[in-house]
Amino acid sequence: MTKRPFLGWFVTPAGLIAIGIAASFLAILQYSLRAHVPGMLDPGGFTFDNFTTLLKPAYGKAFITTVLLCFWTALFTLLIGYPLAFAMLRTRSGWVRGAMLIITLTPLFLGEVVRTYSWIIVLGNQGFLNSALLGLGLIDEPISFMFTTMGVVIALVHFTLPIVVIMLAAAIAHIDRKLEQAAFSLGAGRVRVFLTVTLPLSVPGIVAASSTAFAWTFSAFATPQMIGGGQVVTISTLVYQVGFASFNFPLAASLSLAGLLFTIAVLSIFNLGMRRIERQGAY
Amino acid sequence: MNCTPLDHLLTWSGRILVALILGFVLLPFVVVLIASFNHSSILTFPPQDWSLRWYAHAFEYDDFADGVKNSLIIAAFGSTLALVAGTGFAYVLNRYEFRGKATLHAVLMSSLVIPNFTIGLGLLILAASVSIPRSMGLLVFLHITIVLPFVVRSVYVSLQNFERQLEAAAESLGAAPRRVLFTITLPLLLPGLAAGWLFAAILSFNEFTASLFLVNQRTQTLPVAMYNYVREYADPTLAAVSVIYVVAVAAMLILAHIFFRLEKVLNVD
Amino acid sequence: MLIDPKLQQPAEAVPGQPPARPAVKIDGVSKSFDGTLALEPTWLKIRKGEFLTLLGPSGCGKTTLLNLVAGFLEPDKGELFIDDALVTQVPVHKREIGIVFQNYALFPHMNVLKNVEYGLRTRGVPAAEARDRAMETLRLVKLDQFADRRPKQLSGGQQQRVALARALVIRPKVLLLDEPFSALDRNLRAAMQIELKEIQHSLGVTTIFVTHDQGEALSMSDRIAVMSKGRVRQIGSPEEIYASPADRFVGTFVGDANLLTGTVTTSESGTLTLDLAGTALTLPQSAAPEAAAGETVELFARPEACQLVAPGTPGAVPATVSFAVYQGAHVELHLACPAAAEGPIMLRVPVANVPKVGAAVAVALPEAPVIFTGEAQ
Repeated sequence: MTKRPFLGWFVTPAGLIAIGIAASFLAILQYSLRAHVPGMLDPGGFTFDNFTTLLKPAYGKAFITTVLLCFWTALFTLLIGYPLAFAMLRTRSGWVRGAMLIITLTPLFLGEVVRTYSWIIVLGNQGFLNSALLGLGLIDEPISFMFTTMGVVIALVHFTLPIVVIMLAAAIAHIDRKLEQAAFSLGAGRVRVFLTVTLPLSVPGIVAASSTAFAWTFSAFATPQMIGGGQVVTISTLVYQVGFASFNFPLAASLSLAGLLFTIAVLSIFNLGMRRIERQGAY
Repeated sequence: MNCTPLDHLLTWSGRILVALILGFVLLPFVVVLIASFNHSSILTFPPQDWSLRWYAHAFEYDDFADGVKNSLIIAAFGSTLALVAGTGFAYVLNRYEFRGKATLHAVLMSSLVIPNFTIGLGLLILAASVSIPRSMGLLVFLHITIVLPFVVRSVYVSLQNFERQLEAAAESLGAAPRRVLFTITLPLLLPGLAAGWLFAAILSFNEFTASLFLVNQRTQTLPVAMYNYVREYADPTLAAVSVIYVVAVAAMLILAHIFFRLEKVLNVD
Repeated sequence: MLIDPKLQQPAEAVPGQPPARPAVKIDGVSKSFDGTLALEPTWLKIRKGEFLTLLGPSGCGKTTLLNLVAGFLEPDKGELFIDDALVTQVPVHKREIGIVFQNYALFPHMNVLKNVEYGLRTRGVPAAEARDRAMETLRLVKLDQFADRRPKQLSGGQQQRVALARALVIRPKVLLLDEPFSALDRNLRAAMQIELKEIQHSLGVTTIFVTHDQGEALSMSDRIAVMSKGRVRQIGSPEEIYASPADRFVGTFVGDANLLTGTVTTSESGTLTLDLAGTALTLPQSAAPEAAAGETVELFARPEACQLVAPGTPGAVPATVSFAVYQGAHVELHLACPAAAEGPIMLRVPVANVPKVGAAVAVALPEAPVIFTGEAQ
């Protein structure tokens, strides 16, 4: 009797893909330990130099910039994502909910380039925002959004908002409405019910959404590249620059590796926090 | 519930806040829509003259046409192959225990955590070290690795909700394992498979960062072609492309909402 | 009752002919899950055309045994034969069995006809013939006019008939029924039981029926195997199981039971005397041949075998009425009795003749009650 029909057939394609993924990961690892020979695409001998190079301030600064971008993006995305998710679930009109869902989700399926380009038109010195503010007489000179951290954060918040709203909405949707009704029945007002029942119970969703917002922002390339324009240097833009401008692929590899280790460390902290919250058993 | 003036204030300030947030989401698309009809090749607000010339230009520009073609080919092959591999893997993940299962799972799902620029760089270095040309095949493989986790997840959830007794019934009626698979299991998983495939195809069509590392002039995808266009030209052609993109996606979502109710699909009911 | 008398005595030994070969032979089959024994080694022969019921509470091993026969599980030890062929290693799809599942497991993506045809198509029966045979079987279950419907569009009873037709159309060597009535409401259940029994009888298909409902088991079976804790406790006709349960478990699980504790006073020269909390009772020694003087035993009597008599009647056990439950056709009396092994003594009396609560009465026990010894406690 075959107890596990198709096991071989079904595992093989996935196994081949896994081999490819593992091999490309090993390729990065291998390159990160090889010397860069200027003017040559092929790497030289074994060395740890790439990792000592990463200790230079320029690279440390890219890490700090990236972390700050991740932090501000996650914070602002949560701040505007939560009310949106909450309103989406609590509206009584199905029509309004549908419209909110479609508006929120559309950016998710647009890709980074379209979204970033749209923001360039909004934020540019002759862009929509500055023209509008100048036209209304609110400012005398255009505000520089382009090539600034603020501009990049605005576009990144827009970039991460859909996924964060979906995750928050799923978390809020799974809170038992009876708990809120119980709080109302005990005489709590709407603000108090929200602050003492709804918000605390959506903490797991908030943690999960922040972790995803972090991963997405860390991975973002087109936005910091196009809006940052070389002035806001993140790990992603630096890897691309080191690789395709200097053709120093060993250094690009070690930088990616360092970034990856950093991502894993941060996501592990999120996971740990998540587990601690779950262990308290309140959810 | 009795409504005090404070409650009304709360309700209305909440509504205004949400409207402002939705405005933030919509703002770039409204701006891009206006910009796309700007006659001059230099963007000004408000536009001095209106025209459709950038739409015409978008359709005439060869790199976009080639990009669309390449992206469609890569998305079709990538998501279909990912569907085949991902369905098989989700099946064994759901049904069987075997050695190395956890490792295989971790490796296949790793692209959810690994930044796309790292995935692209890794495959680029790998291809260079084993002398694989930067071909369409390589891009297809890249896209498979990126979309596979989503397919596996989608199919796995469908399998968890699958009533195994239907397979037992088919087996008792004389159906060999393969017949059970093709006449019972797969047909009943079809909605999950279709959703997984569609999501993978959209993701693949839009993928930019990792592809940027692996494309060449001949294989560049639409997002890469668009990115290159922005770097070279400042005219609003890309605004026209963006409008088409936004309209297509919004239309698709509206259809999806009418047919499947998005709140159900997203589990936010 | 619609049961044909012939069927109650299945053709084991027709005079002048060799005994029929068993349709299913379970030969020392056992099964454990994660070290817990779900089914002790079990031997069972099921005759051709027989309707055998596996009866027991949940977790008794009846479903495990059914799954072993079906082939969904592989036995740890022992062998299985269907029509004399060893099938222990034969996969489910080659066993030629028909199963009706508890929730019917109808294929939701196929209409009724396609569901019923399925087993024929897997066997390579040509489309036209499969269709004819499926329609014929649907006529048998009176659902031929629903052939185009999807299962979800049918009522519970109709779905069950489709499931039955789907299992029967392949002319299975054995029909396995896994609690098929549990999802139906009470009235429908009774009607479906009769219908199923009629169909089973007319087709003469060997049937193994799994249930925890003793009423179903008694009304439908040729033989019942009562199971508990992974073991077959007793196997016999419904009459045997009901009238002479092999042990306390069978006696209390099937039907209502009164149990009284007694001590053996004497057991000699064909006579057994018991002391039931002060009442002396004389029985033939054959009621419990192995009981020795001084041993504690349990006396088992069905409510309808007990009679309410005047207090002081010799051989009757004194009791007090604790309460009466009106049940329409009769009244159920619950009696407190010093000799009762557990709970009250229960018996049914005509509505016209109900003693008051608190009244002192006596219960006359049947002349040949069942005595449980040894494991009684």
